[in-house]
Amino acid sequence: MKAQGINAASITYDAREVLSAFSSAYKIEYPMLSDVGSKVIRAFGIFNTNIPPDHAFYGVPWPGEYLVAPDGTVRDKVFLPSYEHRASATEVIFRNCGVDNTGHGVEIKTTVVDASVTLSSDRCFAGQELGIALDLNVKPGWHLYGKPLPSNYRPTELVLSGPLVDHLTLELPAPQTKLMKALDETLPIYEGKVRAVGKLAIKWSPPIPAPFLLKIGPAIEADAHKIAGALRYQACSETVCEAPEEIRFELPLTIEKGVPSAPKPG
Amino acid sequence: MEAQAKANILHDIVRKMGAGGAEITTEGWLDFVEAQNDGFKTGLAIGEKIPDFTLPDQRGAMRSWRDLTGPSGLLLVFSRSAGW
Repeated sequence: MKAQGINAASITYDAREVLSAFSSAYKIEYPMLSDVGSKVIRAFGIFNTNIPPDHAFYGVPWPGEYLVAPDGTVRDKVFLPSYEHRASATEVIFRNCGVDNTGHGVEIKTTVVDASVTLSSDRCFAGQELGIALDLNVKPGWHLYGKPLPSNYRPTELVLSGPLVDHLTLELPAPQTKLMKALDETLPIYEGKVRAVGKLAIKWSPPIPAPFLLKIGPAIEADAHKIAGALRYQACSETVCEAPEEIRFELPLTIEKGVPSAPKPG
Repeated sequence: MEAQAKANILHDIVRKMGAGGAEITTEGWLDFVEAQNDGFKTGLAIGEKIPDFTLPDQRGAMRSWRDLTGPSGLLLVFSRSAGW
């Protein structure tokens, strides 16, 4: 973020002493702002109105993040429907500042296409959402297919699966349409360089061992994991059509251990 | 969900947590999460101006968003609490 010229700050309803204790315990360098009374939380329109005034949580926001431009306009924001799920700060940076050189991903090379699948970070907590990009570089003379497509062709598709994957949202850009003279058929195709940027939501898992949470699903271990991936496509030229392909790969992702509650101030 | 029902769920779970959490059921926990997520809002729209604000940071220094922003902007993260 620093390299992109973007600073970060957090806002909570906590007293300064609470923030000071947290900041020391976890060696936080960014400013943690104390919005006691939740005036700023209200001014942003995210005051959680479900909490009754006599409750300890009264004053919390529906959590999320805004990317604010230097002139004070909201450039982007990420809010997820459940507070148990949070976007990684890397997601919004990835989407707004480009995806080059994160180095977190895999390269796939075939005779007709070079592809890379890149994550906005190689580590996150269970329940977080990351940015993801698919880059394709289709070799000259070849094309891949987009949608909608007759059923005898395979459209280009990225699939991620396994116990870590909650959902993947990744739409390829609109394909070009091209008249295939030999077939006399007009089809949606991709040629040259194609980039799609989307989101990968990681399943939530209890951050603390609690018997009542075990029924919700198996806990995701804090560890180095590998997400199973597949790139599906069919490559054709003006004269030749190859058989539909599925290239399987593994995407490394480390799930971090949940941190314990903040120490009490003082 | 009705406001009083949400309030009851929220008080109930926090009371049970305070007592060690043994009485909390999976269904009770899911209701607790739902009661807080109900009707969630995402606030200011993309393109809108943020309100001017100045707040103390963890060291007690007063910070306005204008001081905090970098040359290309500011990522402002709203969290629930750093205290629990």
